[in-house]
Amino acid sequence: MMENLSISDPPLHGGPGGVPSGVLGRPPPQAQQPQQLPAQMFTTAAQLLDLTDKKLMLALRDGRKLTGILRSWDQFANLVLQSTKERIFVPPGYGPDPSRGLYADIDKGIFLVRGENVLLLGEIDLDKDDDPPPGYDLGEVELVQSLAKARKQEEKLKEKSKVRKLATIGFEGENQGEVLL
Amino acid sequence: MLFFSFFKTLIDHEVTVELKNDIQIRGILKSVDQYLNIKLEDISVVEELKYPHLSAVKNVFIRGSVVRYVHLPAGAVDIPLLEDATRREAANQAGKAK
Amino acid sequence: MADTAEEGNTVAEPLDLVRLLLDEIVCVKLRGDRELKGRLHAYDSHCNLVLGDVEETIYVVEDEEGDDDIKTVSRKSEMLFVRGDSVVLIAPHSRPY
Repeated sequence: MMENLSISDPPLHGGPGGVPSGVLGRPPPQAQQPQQLPAQMFTTAAQLLDLTDKKLMLALRDGRKLTGILRSWDQFANLVLQSTKERIFVPPGYGPDPSRGLYADIDKGIFLVRGENVLLLGEIDLDKDDDPPPGYDLGEVELVQSLAKARKQEEKLKEKSKVRKLATIGFEGENQGEVLL
Repeated sequence: MLFFSFFKTLIDHEVTVELKNDIQIRGILKSVDQYLNIKLEDISVVEELKYPHLSAVKNVFIRGSVVRYVHLPAGAVDIPLLEDATRREAANQAGKAK
Repeated sequence: MADTAEEGNTVAEPLDLVRLLLDEIVCVKLRGDRELKGRLHAYDSHCNLVLGDVEETIYVVEDEEGDDDIKTVSRKSEMLFVRGDSVVLIAPHSRPY
């Protein structure tokens, strides 16, 4: 079902027929939107159609970064990724060489990611994919993992004290229940 | 619907999307849907060293709910038209509520 | 609630107040320790906004311990869309509280 869903399939409430992906991004004429809901889906789903079988980077709600090849998706933007890797980063100032950051990849295999947990997804430019991110070097997985963990702990403490202090002048944190927990 | 239509008028303009986790991504607005999910092309990240995970990414699809701001080119916004549309939308909403 | 809210100056429901603020300078308090001041050009029922000539004030805490280490950072933007789910309150001009 998920595998073969295309934007012209009837399951999407029988909207105004198939919208060829080439015209996406052009504002559809207003008359083409009989009841709003189907049309909404078209654009979201059609974005994903363009990205099928491409290598993507996903940023998740808990702060993880995944890369993988998009093999399947549905109207909720649930995604199936093949050859998924989690990439962890340690910014400059935390590693052995304070002027450079570190990163490492961990193989994860096949993932189905529930759509609501995806903050952002990007198509990876394969020409740039082999280069390390500017300012970063590939590190040993164990080292990067332990540095990242220590840094996360530190950030958590800072965030806690920040929330407490700003509460005194009437502010509350923005991501309660998400990134913090 | 107002902002969905508004963003459609900004397609092909350069905008900067600021997310709730403080990342700012500049790019050409290519698509928007009713949830205000946004697709940007030819992106660059404002503080690249801090957000290295986007270094090899050229196009992004951003979930509407994680957006804090979209910085817009003032020249691309027809202010009187926008304010008129807002009044019409408000009148519509009031009509619906009854 | 008869025909009060149509196009008049009455405030029958909360967002009618915002309608009266169109094209005026407003102060907006946001989640994430921020405030905005700018001219209101658009809004909808989710409190999505477009503001022009905006000044943003961010409240930040300096790293070290101590009591009065809350600082503010200011940024400007010529035209800004603000997503409604960050909006805490909208007030006419000046500081709202």
